[in-house]
Amino acid sequence: MRHQVQLQIGPVALRVGSQWAGPIKALTRLYEGYPEPEAPCDFTVRLEPDKPWRRWIRPSVAVGGDYRLPGSVPLALRHGLLAAELGMNLQMALGHKRHLLLHASSVERDGRALLMTGESGAGKSTLAALLGERGWRLMGDEFALLDLDDGTLHPFPRAISLKNGSIAMLETEVEGRRLGPRLDGTPKGVIRHLRPNAGAIAAMAERAAPALILFPRFGADLAPAVRKVGAAEVFVRLTQASTNYVTLGERGFDALTRLVVSTPARAIDYHDTANALALVEGLWADLAR
Amino acid sequence: MAGPRFTADPPDMMRTVELDGLTALFHLPSGTTHILAPPAPQILAALADGPATAPTILARIRRAFDVEGPRRSGGQRRSGALAVLETRIAELEAAGLVSRL
Amino acid sequence: MSDLEDQKPAEQSPEPSRRFVLALGAAAASTVVTIRPALAQTAGSVLNCQIPVPAPQAAGSYIDPDGHIVAPGTPGAFPPAPRPLTGEEVKVMLRGGPSPAGIDSQSAQAYANYIRRLQAGMSGFTCYASLQMPR
Repeated sequence: MRHQVQLQIGPVALRVGSQWAGPIKALTRLYEGYPEPEAPCDFTVRLEPDKPWRRWIRPSVAVGGDYRLPGSVPLALRHGLLAAELGMNLQMALGHKRHLLLHASSVERDGRALLMTGESGAGKSTLAALLGERGWRLMGDEFALLDLDDGTLHPFPRAISLKNGSIAMLETEVEGRRLGPRLDGTPKGVIRHLRPNAGAIAAMAERAAPALILFPRFGADLAPAVRKVGAAEVFVRLTQASTNYVTLGERGFDALTRLVVSTPARAIDYHDTANALALVEGLWADLAR
Repeated sequence: MAGPRFTADPPDMMRTVELDGLTALFHLPSGTTHILAPPAPQILAALADGPATAPTILARIRRAFDVEGPRRSGGQRRSGALAVLETRIAELEAAGLVSRL
Repeated sequence: MSDLEDQKPAEQSPEPSRRFVLALGAAAASTVVTIRPALAQTAGSVLNCQIPVPAPQAAGSYIDPDGHIVAPGTPGAFPPAPRPLTGEEVKVMLRGGPSPAGIDSQSAQAYANYIRRLQAGMSGFTCYASLQMPR
């Protein structure tokens, strides 16, 4: 591949290559300050034209690499950075087996971790980003990596994917050079990527013990509510939030049951982000051991 | 007359964890995970003693528990319990945890 | 265990509060939920399932060359597999590939035929079925 960049992110080394310079330049700038891998890369993402002529004519990027999803729709070249991020998600989702993967954001304080999981738009990325600017260390946005042997969480601090309304919220909080380009008209609306702060990058090898699981739900007309979630429900929801639970077999079962049995869980409904943050701090003070 | 004999894999081929009144079960031979509510775990425990018909399974369960079937008047209660048990056994069969001999 | 076990209801114990009540539930309720993979592409990883040959219910029985279960020691039949076979090994065997480690090729053929005869409800059937599914 003509252009490429290699990134160490937590315990995973990723390589992203492309025939176009643009996406690689944007990715390199977004991940400024990240260490280069010392060992061979775990996964490779390839951003290629989906047909030969698409390299020049209405250029469009097919997201490829070690693992591919047949039938995925190519992206316009101006969204190449998004394609790179999706490509990294795909390699992890389909190929990573060293840890149990949970589709969740995670932040750390005092060696203990808060996990937030839920559907797209639930607010887990926004809340994690904001907590990361309020004394918590961001461990990850898209994936939480659960150690199969000791139940700790490994950081995987990729850039946070901010969508639509959340973008403005974070633009007022962080220096502009931590933000990627504003990408309009993507399949998910407007997207802007946020680089985790220097503290999060420096601590990317420091694990934390899970201490609280939250299922946030955001809705403009939702009455604020907190609900205890039973262990069986947490377990089932987390199997559905994991792309490799089934693949990991008995080890996955052991790791996930251990997490669920030892970690309190709450569902929170909110319509106001400031209110949600206060709720999170309160629940952490009450429940995190 | 007593119906088919059912059987299950031995307990050492399953991993179970109690979650809040329900049982998470990992079935080693199939690599599949199930969540079971009572009386499913009790049926599997009853079959650990060896293959059995539904009435025998019910009898084994009754050694440890007072069984509450669906609300029926007096004489129908036992057959009501057996019918419900048979439905539960069928669910376990569909999930691949119980089979018939 | 005999099927002619006593089916009378348990004697009322002198301290009924020591026994737990087990509710069988309404006939319509569901008591078994099977976890499905979140992402179809990660379904049925063959690496994680196993097929015991023969199934535990027939432990000790021999397998004849056509894959039928026969009495132990039947001439021409093969003893049980020394260990459960992994999905990956079975996949290779069924395609006519090399036999799994520690198993000679004639036994492997008999085992393969046994596996092909598996029916729903028999131990290992789910594993065998998932091997047939296209990825």
